[in-house]
Amino acid sequence: MTFERFQLLAEAWGGAIARWPAETQDAAYAFMAAAPERADAVLAEARATDALLDAAVSPAPSAALRDHVIARAPAARPERARLWRWMTGAGVGAALTAATAAGVMAGVNLSLARAPVGEDDALLTALYDTGLADDFGGSS
Amino acid sequence: MTVNDPDQDLVARVGRGDPAAIQALVARKLPRMLQLAHRMLNDAVEAEDVAQEVFLRAWKQAPSWVPGAARFDTWLHRVALNLCYDRLRRRREQPMAEPPEQVDTGPAPDRDLLARDTRDRVTAALGALPERQREAVVLCHYQELGNIEAAGLMGVSVEALESLLSRGRRALRAALADLKE
Repeated sequence: MTFERFQLLAEAWGGAIARWPAETQDAAYAFMAAAPERADAVLAEARATDALLDAAVSPAPSAALRDHVIARAPAARPERARLWRWMTGAGVGAALTAATAAGVMAGVNLSLARAPVGEDDALLTALYDTGLADDFGGSS
Repeated sequence: MTVNDPDQDLVARVGRGDPAAIQALVARKLPRMLQLAHRMLNDAVEAEDVAQEVFLRAWKQAPSWVPGAARFDTWLHRVALNLCYDRLRRRREQPMAEPPEQVDTGPAPDRDLLARDTRDRVTAALGALPERQREAVVLCHYQELGNIEAAGLMGVSVEALESLLSRGRRALRAALADLKE
């Protein structure tokens, strides 16, 4: 490696040869061994520039930004999955079940005046046991 | 040609909606994306906007990410740089009446004023570099990308990248010559 090439690489990549392109490092270390004073002078100048660059503002993400980013990740949005499920077969099935349930409920309402209270409770419990509550805003 | 991507497994888990993987990817990449955008735009608020947008696109991309063609980190950089250049272009088209407000994200107030002055001057000098020189310095010095990766992102040869780096660093050194004493 020539002095000019060594100088150019230090100008571009800084004062740490370990951060230079991998394919240049062996030749650079060989140059250092052959001409240590010239190499040191070039590297010292480059290290000074590195130090200046390292003094620049280095912002860290706030907790609010991190939380906002995570909240918009797919896994953090279960309501999308619920909507998708609703719009696909499961949702259609649930809709048909709901329509059936509505019909049953209408029948229940019509017969409330005559049916004993214990029978009504049993019927409503059976409806909820089908899982309809989940499809209308439950916690699943 | 396939590339060795250290983020490959993590991205696959993100694509499956694994909450722990999402947290890990954000911890690993959000600081990098925020700092990249901040150094390209020299504006804290716009940098946060860019970082958020990068991750929105990452969340969309992860489920269909095909490993082997490119590193996910390189893809993130490309997205972030495109967003930064969109904003820089808009600035040129609609010059601001006032320079962007700088949010103090630096060291604690008990640091001496000299350190703060140095930090602000270096940040300003970096922001004043021509865009391509700044991009080269940001990608190679701060983001620690390799020469081939950075040159590929910038669409230039490795030799052109080295030239941009040298010119950028020389310009910074000249602008801050008094600080080196």
